[in-house]
Amino acid sequence: MGKLIRYGFTLFLVLSLNFALPRMMPGDPVVNLLGDEALHNDPKMRAELRAEFGLDKPLHIQYVDYLKSLFRLDLGYSIHKSQSVRDLMAYRLFWTMMLVFPSIIVGAVLALLLGSWAGFSSGSRSDLFLTGLALFLYTCPPFLLAMVLVSVFSFHLGLFPLGNLTSGGKTGVEYIVDVTWHLFLPVVTLSLLGASYEFLVVRNSTVQLLEEQFVLAAMAKGLRERDILLRHVIRNVLPPFISMVALSFGFMVSGALIVEIVFSLNGMGTLVYDAVVARDYPVMQGCFLVLTVSVLVANLVADILYGIADPRIGGASSGGL
Amino acid sequence: MTGSGKKQICASDCKFETLSISGMIRIARQTLTASPLKLTGWTLLFFFLLMALLAPFIAPWDPRETGIPYLPPSSDHLLGTNDIGQDILSELIFASRVSLTIGLLAGIVSILIGVVVGLLAGYYRGWIEELLLAVEDMVLLIPGLPLMIILAAYLSPSMWNIILVVGLLWWCSTARVVHSRVLQLREMPFVEAARSLGCSDGYIILRHILVNTKEIVYAKFALAVASAMLTEASLSFLGLGDPLNISWGEMIHFAFSRGGFANDMWWWYLPPGLMVCLSVMGFVLISMEPKRSGKMLEL
Repeated sequence: MGKLIRYGFTLFLVLSLNFALPRMMPGDPVVNLLGDEALHNDPKMRAELRAEFGLDKPLHIQYVDYLKSLFRLDLGYSIHKSQSVRDLMAYRLFWTMMLVFPSIIVGAVLALLLGSWAGFSSGSRSDLFLTGLALFLYTCPPFLLAMVLVSVFSFHLGLFPLGNLTSGGKTGVEYIVDVTWHLFLPVVTLSLLGASYEFLVVRNSTVQLLEEQFVLAAMAKGLRERDILLRHVIRNVLPPFISMVALSFGFMVSGALIVEIVFSLNGMGTLVYDAVVARDYPVMQGCFLVLTVSVLVANLVADILYGIADPRIGGASSGGL
Repeated sequence: MTGSGKKQICASDCKFETLSISGMIRIARQTLTASPLKLTGWTLLFFFLLMALLAPFIAPWDPRETGIPYLPPSSDHLLGTNDIGQDILSELIFASRVSLTIGLLAGIVSILIGVVVGLLAGYYRGWIEELLLAVEDMVLLIPGLPLMIILAAYLSPSMWNIILVVGLLWWCSTARVVHSRVLQLREMPFVEAARSLGCSDGYIILRHILVNTKEIVYAKFALAVASAMLTEASLSFLGLGDPLNISWGEMIHFAFSRGGFANDMWWWYLPPGLMVCLSVMGFVLISMEPKRSGKMLEL
């Protein structure tokens, strides 16, 4: 219950921030709400626009109007692209999620398996290699990894397409295969980025767990290493790991924005990039709102599922690793 | 953290630290030889610091001077030239100043906020703790990059705004760790003793509690700088960087948006990327615990 209030309050904060930013920040709110293109209009037209968008009304009335328009899913209009922001985002959000969800799952599985294995054999050569690799990936800016992968696998080896989501003109199974081929490298990039941090955490908590008495007991019983790892160690790493993965949703969305730009996928990232270049504020704000709300919803769902899966933590705030 | 941490705290609190230069050298040598990772980290950072400080002396060209564009690497221009004919190597060397300054200052901002929030929440408990933890939770829930993009886009593109934006949003993990440490510390006998002697809260926090969180704070500071540098690189890559102070991330932005990447000019985008990698790596490495090499500090 306390969690729900917290989520509600965060949502309220995000909505208010989105409302306040164009009105508070330096510059003319008309420009901030309509994009840089409005700047070229003459002052008279600007005043008309101000009246049309209700910017001359008192703030609390503007706020109510703003909430009403959100309720109608009206996210404003991009003069730059002459299209409503909602229509601009319609398919792009779907493709960004198509990139984020597989990456979260692949990254989490990789991190859990390799991390617990590296922690279990800590100090060995494979542990050193994996930890070094994870550390390197962790320090690697997302766009660099993406650029290197595109350059090596698409430019030079020609194994994967240079960008875009599909080659076009395909249907049915062929279409799905084609999309998978196009999404393969971006998903690999994003899962490696997500896995690197999770790997380090899993590895460290496994090393800590190995000092516990129950592992000693399991060893004394003569269980095989694989059984100790799978049945005793991973099971104890799992609960905090799941909550960490759920919380990584925001991080993955941030990473996806960058990765999309390098792979020129038609998702939210490229939309944000174009909007930043053109200083198209309505689009930026719409993206901020939609991305933030989807991260909030995803975290809320994960929290609820987690509460169902592990009744012990129920209402208490779950601590990270 | 629990058993050994307790012993450690008492020992460092009872012992009066004498700050002599030879003593510091001895301590430095001990920690460095105990941990080769730390040594590597310090070496990397020392290299970058030298590069930033000596930039005007080691850069072969003036990074602002323009010439023939899109030259491939040659003996004249070791890393070629960019779209307006500036020497990429010189640009790279001067960019280290911008990237490191932004990283360090944003790290300082975030660590200051994190430490103050952690100390207050842990020491005073009650509604202050509830409030600060709620704020922390909310900042953690909001995805960082979209918020930073929108803030940076509304503010004018300058180094200082980037420092502010990054610093203001990266304090949560510091606050969390300091908070849990302070919760342990405030129940310790020496804090109780200080309290019963009538010491004021401010005195206890500054002279007894803050001092004992310093190891965490140092480690978290290094990590905060690392995160800040990565975030700055992403923001600059998106074109939100300071056009007057080119950072490594911004160099990649130009390489990407002005044909360097599409034409496979790896000498343009790869070196600044590796610089970001290596300097972030340096900061991460120095934050690692010297003892018990099997464990690393929570990133």
